[in-house]
Amino acid sequence: MADRKEYIPPGWDYNPASWSERLPIIVLAMAGFFIAGYLALYQWRIIPSIWDPFFPQGSIRILNSSISHLLPIPDAALGALGYLADAVTGAIGGRERWRTMPWIVIVFGIAVGPLGAVSVMLVVFQPVLFHAWCTLCLASALVSLIMIGPAMDEFLASLQHLRRVKDNGGSFWRTFWGMQSTAR
Amino acid sequence: MWARILSAAAGIWVMAAPAVLNSSASAATNDRIIGPVVASFSIIAMWQVTRSLRWLNLPLGVWLVMAPFALGYISTAAGWNSVGIGIVVAVLSFVPGSSKHRLGGGWPSLWRRQSTR
Repeated sequence: MADRKEYIPPGWDYNPASWSERLPIIVLAMAGFFIAGYLALYQWRIIPSIWDPFFPQGSIRILNSSISHLLPIPDAALGALGYLADAVTGAIGGRERWRTMPWIVIVFGIAVGPLGAVSVMLVVFQPVLFHAWCTLCLASALVSLIMIGPAMDEFLASLQHLRRVKDNGGSFWRTFWGMQSTAR
Repeated sequence: MWARILSAAAGIWVMAAPAVLNSSASAATNDRIIGPVVASFSIIAMWQVTRSLRWLNLPLGVWLVMAPFALGYISTAAGWNSVGIGIVVAVLSFVPGSSKHRLGGGWPSLWRRQSTR
């Protein structure tokens, strides 16, 4: 959180784009990627069985369910891609990216939000539709929820920056793409 | 923070309750939908920037109180559990928690003109 003063957005008392703010999110996203990737490997039968200390039968039921195979690739593979997108968009850009590349911060915020929403939906489906739980699926959902709060502060700082530039006669889109990064 | 932790725990308990309380089908379905959603909003609202999401737990708490009457399982353990936890969740949604950071006016600032002069 200790960061050079000029990196801190106006009206803030810390820089939401500093590495100490972003690194934990990137680590969480990578953890989510490995959990979801492991589940996908089972769904593709690249590995023959799945680890679940609490609901061994539940995991088998959930991961082979009709919902999990609705799309051309299994749902955990899609989840893994989502986590990877979170990690990559969380990592791109420097400590001033809320101001210098709002587009990546906004893509990051949009990537984190829906992943969390889909995770919660899948948590509801597990017991309601299949009367089963899957430990690693729950762990993955928890990871995606924990990422939302810390990602949203940077998202807010970028939106405030765009608003400020626009209200002071600057170009919204030039600022959005990082071609103009100062208010006024 | 403690309010969000308690509220998340309440949501997780509601999620698990059908397995413990021998709930009827309608009680189990309701708990298994509302529980994870309450827990999710509580977890997201642990951070100051997304704290307002706590208010979404107010209608969910009220619904937990009403559901046993509406869906006809008020005379069961699941029914009383739902009413009790619903009150707790609704009350906790009013606890603002600490806001130690300044966030440039927060989300409402996006709806106000930001001209400096």
